Amino acid sequence: MTLQAQERPLGAAGGTYCVPAAVLDNLAARVRACGLFLMLLDKDGSVVWHDPQAAMFFHRYVLPLVQYGDPTDPGLVERIRKLGANSSVTAWNTFPGVILAVFPCVERRQIGGFVVLAGRSVDFNLSEEVLRVCSRLGLDAAWLRQQAEELIAYNDQAIQRQARLVTGMLEDQMRLAGLASELNSLSGHLANAYEELSLIYQISGGMRINRPANDFFKQACLDVLEVMGVQGLGVALSGETLPGHEPLLYGALSLPPGTVHRLAEQLIPMLRERKGPLLVNDLVADKSLDWLAKHVHQLMAVPLQRQDMVMGCLFALNKSGGDFDSQDSKLLNSIANESAIYLENAILFDDAHGLMMGLLHSLTSAVDAKDAYTCGHSERVALLGRQLSLEAGMGEAFGERAYMTGLLHDVGKIGVPESVLQKTGRLTPEEFEQMKKHPAIGARILQDIKQISDLIPGVLHHHERYDGRGYPAGLIAENIPLMGRIICLADCFDAMTSNRTYRKAMPLEVALTEIRRCSGTQFDPSLTEAFLRIGAEKFRQLLAANPGRVRHLGELQQGLRCA
Amino acid sequence: MAAKKILVADDESHILHVVSLKLRNAGFEVLTAADGQEALELAQAQRPDLLITDYHMPQLSGLELCQKLKQDPATAGIPTIMLTARGYQLDPKDTQESGIARMLSKPFSPRNLLTAVNEVLLEAAA
Repeated sequence: MTLQAQERPLGAAGGTYCVPAAVLDNLAARVRACGLFLMLLDKDGSVVWHDPQAAMFFHRYVLPLVQYGDPTDPGLVERIRKLGANSSVTAWNTFPGVILAVFPCVERRQIGGFVVLAGRSVDFNLSEEVLRVCSRLGLDAAWLRQQAEELIAYNDQAIQRQARLVTGMLEDQMRLAGLASELNSLSGHLANAYEELSLIYQISGGMRINRPANDFFKQACLDVLEVMGVQGLGVALSGETLPGHEPLLYGALSLPPGTVHRLAEQLIPMLRERKGPLLVNDLVADKSLDWLAKHVHQLMAVPLQRQDMVMGCLFALNKSGGDFDSQDSKLLNSIANESAIYLENAILFDDAHGLMMGLLHSLTSAVDAKDAYTCGHSERVALLGRQLSLEAGMGEAFGERAYMTGLLHDVGKIGVPESVLQKTGRLTPEEFEQMKKHPAIGARILQDIKQISDLIPGVLHHHERYDGRGYPAGLIAENIPLMGRIICLADCFDAMTSNRTYRKAMPLEVALTEIRRCSGTQFDPSLTEAFLRIGAEKFRQLLAANPGRVRHLGELQQGLRCA
Repeated sequence: MAAKKILVADDESHILHVVSLKLRNAGFEVLTAADGQEALELAQAQRPDLLITDYHMPQLSGLELCQKLKQDPATAGIPTIMLTARGYQLDPKDTQESGIARMLSKPFSPRNLLTAVNEVLLEAAA
């Protein structure tokens, strides 16, 4: 077997040594300038790296000797193996005409390998041994001597001195390399922290209380989806938290129908029980959710909670390129905490409004109870008032105020004697005076509730006439508050189309003709125009509205979002 | 195609590290400067394809840096992404006249910064 055939690539790119390649390059350049040759040996004494730019003497003569040994003195590997982690620099004259300095590379108190410095010995001459090696390696002895003479000659002490310098340099360089990699890792963590912080800023910015919950969660999910690199991000809320809420899932992952529901139903109790986030990187192995394993392999879920109450959860499915780690769980937790604050506030907001609307409807029911014939009238006036506002281009928020004014417009009838309210015949002038007091009584009833004090003008002036012949103030045209003009139209229209004790309901078309006839005298002409645009179909729908019943809570919440 | 060269200027070294890491990982060549004056000299010597600079810097502010670069025909075409404190607004006139293509407020998302870099380079190439 020739030596050439045994040669293998040394210090091949991509290899990892106990000393980073960049450090070796740097050190090799320095020792090269001193006429020395740098090699790195592994624990077993095999050369794993050497200075690729070293002088010919080292490349052709020293390197093969270190690599394959001198048959007459195979002791280098043996000697190296005897070195301990604490061995200091040792100089050896193992090979003829060469002087070696060896010291161990220690990493966490373990020998990772050995650094070998080789120099031309002061004793180099064409001795018998050198000639023998030359012939074995196929080298021309005269050429070798010529190469050797160009190099600095070293004795034991000189090479040991150099080697000690190199030890110090190596330590410094290793420390620098360690710091650089630490810096890189810290920068990576910092980049993640920035990402997280900017995401939380973004989500907090979207926490307007009157924003529909689905809208808020959709945006939050889409934002997190991008930052986390997961295939699916979803939110599930418990039935008590937000009645009628459907679990949502965003992202590229598509699941069979019903899967998200089933997952949501299972996750919320699981999170309640474990009182912390759930992280499963192998759904097949985890028996509790193995039915899901066909579609999802990794899952992370964190609770949306305030104090000890789990209101729902955020869940992430299938992390692209890797497992969920503590970084991901920290991020999703931060988002969940932010979202929980939003959710709790949104629920309080809904509760407060639900309470207020409930009270308003109770007031309305109290009026209706006194005057059975007008049952459902307030609700219909409310609906008509809202529709007219929208038709006249006042916007959703105004429409909701019109709805509430409509509900309350007759609340003052509580203060009118039942004998007057329920009289079947014509009212006497005295009775009529009593009846005319109900707008003012209504205004007084409402004045102490500051949240609805803006409804008072509409209640107080819903019997004014455009030509000024109405009551209580006899205001003319635009001097009548807009809400009063709107409720007046809605009120009269519903009265005409309802059965009363003293007459039967007018057909819809007749009532509309009557409204048109009174435009400019009783009613605001431009509002009348808008009112007539509503159309017969819509009117039938509005007038058929089920009276005397509080609307479904969900519908209420939806309506209130606009308020 | 040679890697695009990006100059990052900020007096806060952690910003330099975070931005460099993100950009290098995305295959860009990154130069860094710790103040406006150093950034100006580097930009003149190295002609980067893009400048990312903080607004508040010693010696030369980010805006002054952009204005100086704009005055020299050799560096006038370098598009800039400006980093500012949250809530800080630059005069739109200054922004337009100084070649500032994007503004990001700190703490910014490194991911968004990378998106902005790619967009601005694409716009500059068009």
